Amino acid sequence: MPNVIIMSEVFKDRTIAMNPPRVLLTRHPMGRPLSAPGDRERQLEVLKAGLELLDSASEGGTVVTFDKPFRHGSSAQ
Amino acid sequence: MSEESSRKLANESFDNYRQSFSYGSRTDLLFKFLKNGSIEEADQLIRQIFDQAGDLIDTGNPSELIQTITEAQKSAYAGAGHFQYEDKPFTMPAKPVAELNVGLLTTTGHFTEGDDPEPFGMKGLTQDDVVKMTSEFGKANPILSQIPIDTPAEKTRVRHGGYDIRAVERDRNVGLPIDRMRELEADGVIGKFADPAFSFVGLASQLKLRSRLCFEWAQRLKQSGAEAVVLVPI
Repeated sequence: MPNVIIMSEVFKDRTIAMNPPRVLLTRHPMGRPLSAPGDRERQLEVLKAGLELLDSASEGGTVVTFDKPFRHGSSAQ
Repeated sequence: MSEESSRKLANESFDNYRQSFSYGSRTDLLFKFLKNGSIEEADQLIRQIFDQAGDLIDTGNPSELIQTITEAQKSAYAGAGHFQYEDKPFTMPAKPVAELNVGLLTTTGHFTEGDDPEPFGMKGLTQDDVVKMTSEFGKANPILSQIPIDTPAEKTRVRHGGYDIRAVERDRNVGLPIDRMRELEADGVIGKFADPAFSFVGLASQLKLRSRLCFEWAQRLKQSGAEAVVLVPI
């Protein structure tokens, strides 16, 4: 089944070593792969970037980093 | 504090101190990585965190502190780990995403109220309980919970002994983006959001998952109508 992984870059090396089809890495701390709590806008951005890989990736082992830094709670409102 | 406690603390080495954050007397799942790396690195990191906490008091901006913690986690978990594969499986979706039925599967350990997976047949396990049971979870078959996509946030539960669950308790969409996927369906970004979503505790036997369960779970995803899936390892 076509799939895309969305995850924190903290575990980048371990994941890339397994050669999954498509990976979107976020520059976020552990336990917060999509965003800080309440950051709806960032959650949508990250999901859209991940879904875009389903359309755009052409080979296994495709790894893309979502380039925007983590926004903490108060700055994300 | 008792005299005995004071004496123990006075005699504790810094190495023991930093290791105690990983399932020890000071368990903290956000900082359990302190046991990795050298003593010097742990010392340097703690001093850096103190320094940036001081800045935070004055500036109100925690960005540098968050960056420091994230970089330290990244460094602590650098390297390939136990599982390395040469092949690169890849399947193209049959349709554009805007026409696809997309599923969601996470390792966050979510389940719905009234549908506790009851690991090891145990009822009413708390987060504190499972933090003390990580070695048992690491050898066990994970249990896949299904979460109807119209489950209200207040009916969602999370329990996982491997990571700091505070953020997903505050907002499930941090790791289980069920509300956002529904919005993307409504906006036409995806064709459909497959019902139910799925979640399990990723702290489990990876060999059992790979050799057997992954095939059963793929069938369950297909039965949900999913033609592609978003995977969120926490």
